[in-house]
Amino acid sequence: MEALKVEGLSKNFGGVQAVKAISFTVEAGERLAVIGPNGTGKTTLFNLLNGQERPTSGRIYLFGQDITTMPTYSRTALGQARSFQFTSLFPNLTVLNNTLLAIHGTKPSRYQMFRPITSYKSLLAKTRELLEAMDLWERRDAVVKNLGYGEQRRLEVSLSLTSVPKLLLLDEPSCGLTAAESADMITMIHNLGEEVTVVMVAHDMDLVFGLANRIIVLHYGEIIADGTLQEIQADPKVQEIYMGVEESV
Amino acid sequence: MRTDKLKPIGQPWRELLLRLTPYIIAATLLLILPLFLPPYLQRMITKVLIFALFAMSLNLIWGYTGLISLGHAAFFGVGGYTSGILILRFGIESFWLVAPAAILIATLFAAVFGFIALRVSGLYFLMVTFTLGQLLFSLAEQWFHMTGGSHGLRGIPLPDLGFPFIWNTISWYYVVFLVFAICYFLLYRIVNSPFGYALQGIRENEPRMRALGYNTWLYKYIVLIIAGLFAGVAGVLFAHWNKLIAPVHLGLPTSLLGLLFVIIGGAGTLLGPVIGAVVVIFIEFYASIYTPERWPLILGVLFVIAIMFLRGGIFPHLVNLWKKVKSRYSYGSIKS
Repeated sequence: MEALKVEGLSKNFGGVQAVKAISFTVEAGERLAVIGPNGTGKTTLFNLLNGQERPTSGRIYLFGQDITTMPTYSRTALGQARSFQFTSLFPNLTVLNNTLLAIHGTKPSRYQMFRPITSYKSLLAKTRELLEAMDLWERRDAVVKNLGYGEQRRLEVSLSLTSVPKLLLLDEPSCGLTAAESADMITMIHNLGEEVTVVMVAHDMDLVFGLANRIIVLHYGEIIADGTLQEIQADPKVQEIYMGVEESV
Repeated sequence: MRTDKLKPIGQPWRELLLRLTPYIIAATLLLILPLFLPPYLQRMITKVLIFALFAMSLNLIWGYTGLISLGHAAFFGVGGYTSGILILRFGIESFWLVAPAAILIATLFAAVFGFIALRVSGLYFLMVTFTLGQLLFSLAEQWFHMTGGSHGLRGIPLPDLGFPFIWNTISWYYVVFLVFAICYFLLYRIVNSPFGYALQGIRENEPRMRALGYNTWLYKYIVLIIAGLFAGVAGVLFAHWNKLIAPVHLGLPTSLLGLLFVIIGGAGTLLGPVIGAVVVIFIEFYASIYTPERWPLILGVLFVIAIMFLRGGIFPHLVNLWKKVKSRYSYGSIKS
């Protein structure tokens, strides 16, 4: 089953074509990594997939449903979630309240106006479970802006996972983490079940090699290679971009 | 091991007393003390409560949701003008008809106002709310036969409750206090609900809220309507209590006064605007006795002091002070 299908997707910013008529499909349960040098449109592609930006042309399908013009919050309700490259949290709220917001986001209770948020015992229990899995439960009353960077990153990913997504978009999940923290992150993503399809953008090759079973290489807004790890490593165009090939005289 | 899990042994009454102290003080101050005040002070604390309610409604959209509006007095004014117009121009006397109608009109007005203003965000929102507020101000000034023009709508009678009721300074106070208490309770429930938490999330990081599944526009729209409702309630009370409502009450000066209450008291806290209203209205009163011409100057200085030295307003500082006092007198407390 196709989790995600992208057809001729383009995005222009004025005269700059950040994404040029990209097409690809992602099967359910796949672990796809989108890689490429800086400024090749990876984050723009993510913003299109998650609805932060509208494409200039092309269509996006989530589990067969056309979501091209759908607002972000509706995509979340359909089972999409994303994490952000630059930590995007609620800095003046506590860890617990950050997580509670994420938990209620896909529940009808998010519109409830007269019931105290603390009275949702089952959701509170779920919050605890999530925070314990991320090793953040002890820090639940800390205000997020006072957390260490590694803790913020963990919370960042944990917020994206609270909605139990079917398609998870991870934008540089290990950005700025130490090697040990990065390894923890790999284990965590690895432990997500087959029911979660993951599309990630990453610079960290350990992360990519450790997790992805398919890789797309983006270069100046175009797909120049698409295949398994071995295929990508053997691809001459990829070698040219990443290593540079000496011109024969 | 977390120290807060260690419960002190013995003297539980002391803990209880300490926990209840703020409520006992508040109840005494608000319910019993007014009986012994001179009438001019009874009038003043009534005014404080009306404006505190107005400030709390503004705080809901500004302090909690992060939307700064320069047109919030419009809802207050629409509530007040509607009740005055219904009585004086249409001859409807019963308070039980006038008040709900006026609150409904203020709420509907907020729905239209919000729909226009929320097309934009940030600084543009500020400017659109300012413009809409000033439009209404001009309307109130120029629609003479309906609004009484720039002198305002005079001679608004006391509320006709349908049963004998003696309206004097103290009974006014208790009526306003009752309405205030009900609104306070409702607002308390709202800010502590998932909806209220979502408002804070929008203030902190709106794009992330969208990514988490929240239709943030709808939240902002709903909260603007709710704020309009509560501001309308304050406006209805004010029109009857003041017997006069003028264009200034729905224009920029009143909107700015609301912002001042919130800044001085503490934005994003439920009690902050109430304390802001107390402080500002009392200072206004005494300053205008001693230097009738210079009291805006004093208010200006106060404003600067509040911004420079009382970041986040008076209320959070009071809470910290209380926590210190509490930990000092709390039995067996462990200070790390």
